Amino acid sequence: MQNNQEIQSKDILVKIRGMSFKRGTRVIFENVNLDIQRGKITAIMGPSGCGKTTLLRLIGGQLRPQAGTVTVDGLQVNHLSRKALFKLRKRMGMLFQTGALLTDLNVFDNVAYPLREHTDLPDSMIHDLVIMKLQAVGLRGARHLMPSELSGGMARRVALARAIALDPMMIMYDEPFTGQDPISMGVLIRLIKSMNEALGITSIVVSHDVAESASIADFIYVLSAGHIVGRGTPQEMQQSDSKWVRQFMEALPDGPVPFHYPAADYDEELLSGNGHG
Amino acid sequence: MVKLGQLSRIPLEVLQTLGRYGLDFFERLGRGHVFMIYVLMGFKDVLQRWQLVVIQIFSVGVLSFVIIVISGLFVGMVLGLQGYNTLVDFGAEESLGVLVALSLVRELGPVVAALLFAGRAGSALTAEIGLMKTTEQLSAMEMMAVDPLHRIVAPRFLAGTISMPLLAAMFSAVGVLGGYFVGVGLLGVDDGAFWSQMQDTVDLRDDIFNGIIKSFVFGIAVTWIAVFEGYDTVPTSEGISRATTRTVVNSSLAVLGLDFILTALMFNK
Ligand SMILES: Nc1ncnc2c1ncn2[C@@H]1O[C@H](COP(=O)(O)OP(=O)(O)OP(=O)(O)O)[C@@H](O)[C@H]1O
Ligand SMILES: [Mg+2]
Repeated sequence: MQNNQEIQSKDILVKIRGMSFKRGTRVIFENVNLDIQRGKITAIMGPSGCGKTTLLRLIGGQLRPQAGTVTVDGLQVNHLSRKALFKLRKRMGMLFQTGALLTDLNVFDNVAYPLREHTDLPDSMIHDLVIMKLQAVGLRGARHLMPSELSGGMARRVALARAIALDPMMIMYDEPFTGQDPISMGVLIRLIKSMNEALGITSIVVSHDVAESASIADFIYVLSAGHIVGRGTPQEMQQSDSKWVRQFMEALPDGPVPFHYPAADYDEELLSGNGHG
Repeated sequence: MVKLGQLSRIPLEVLQTLGRYGLDFFERLGRGHVFMIYVLMGFKDVLQRWQLVVIQIFSVGVLSFVIIVISGLFVGMVLGLQGYNTLVDFGAEESLGVLVALSLVRELGPVVAALLFAGRAGSALTAEIGLMKTTEQLSAMEMMAVDPLHRIVAPRFLAGTISMPLLAAMFSAVGVLGGYFVGVGLLGVDDGAFWSQMQDTVDLRDDIFNGIIKSFVFGIAVTWIAVFEGYDTVPTSEGISRATTRTVVNSSLAVLGLDFILTALMFNK
């Protein structure tokens, strides 16, 4: 695997080295090294609250690490000026966990928003592009609805259409499959896969869905408690003998991955009998 | 049951709390200024998208229009009644027009309009921006390489600053009509004297111009506080409600404090 990585070192789009990030006194990441390969689909998995969304925000430059570097396409995100950062972000798409649609615009205008902001395309061409993106996520007919009239799953698909509107070099998907029925889930998986294959878009998929992620990802990272506890191709992960990875891939309740947010000892807290924590 | 040992600790704790409040206050003040510098840097952007400002003037101005007109009318009518009662004792009721106009143009117009503006438009601005932050819309814009300070905050700030003098002028104008209605219409003050004395006494530079400066400054203060509180909201529903309250309280205090300072500077002869 070491060998493998050296060969591909110039194909690495996102390179994270020695990165540590804290929220107040709570350590979210400690000395993390991570590579995202260009043109591949990389899945980030890990228990809820382990910092997957935080990792995407670090890559997007919305948060800055306390130590270490985050490099995207040769640019050190954590040291870029605001202007340079914005220039880089035009080439990144991000699908937010909550969708984060602009509530005063309808579906069509939401998807058209990045196009209108960053291109001088004529209206007719923007119209065609938006319709194509909406068709891809199956919501062409919903273009007149306002975000408040969408279900959670629909909102996320609109957000996906918006994220791909500018045909970015890289897309970060924060839990794209949550709240999708099996049919739209299948469509989304195929969409992510086909954008990756046809356009060579680098994709980072954050997900809890082990099977879905394993089915599309070229490479998987498993995060837990501030560290990367497993990395490898889906096949390597299935066969991994790491206890962390086994627990996550097989969804075992017991194992090294903590289900609980860090807390005082449970028995002790019950026995000591004072309710205020 | 305070023990003696604890007693001696109390002043220290009070000092600590005071110190913390002081530090918080200056920290926020500093952040507010840095924030405004970024917003001002976005004005170049805004000029290219002046439609955004027009839309905001429409929503900010129209939000406050009805309340400003109704309040202006009542304040003017009260001025008419009170002024008449006092002036009639000196046989000077013909100066009612002067009294009404000067009180409105110099003081009540800018100040009351700004207070109403803070309660109506300021709180709405804070809640709107705070909600956009809470629902990650501002984050999403940042990730789309659109600066929310330029696209969301700057047009709203500009719109508030432009609307405020207009609303204050409207308040004063309607107020003068209210005073006229009560003074001339109901209490029988001479029509011609009402207007001609007003015209002779009210000075364009000293009174009207200074009133406009005041309302302009109030507009900056109120809108600044409103957009900053919205942008600085703790992203929860409780955070939004707190920020909205803070906008109304802080901007009202700011208006009254600034009014004293501006009045002292303008009318000390
Ligand atoms: N604004 C914030 N202030 C303080 N702590 C935060 C904040 N946002 C997140 N955290 C903390 O950071 C940790 C990581 O959060 P993050 O949202 O990255 O988790 P996640 O892995 O995306 O979880 P999920 O799968 O549930 O979305 C959490 O433990 C959370 O408590
Ligand atoms: Mg998350």
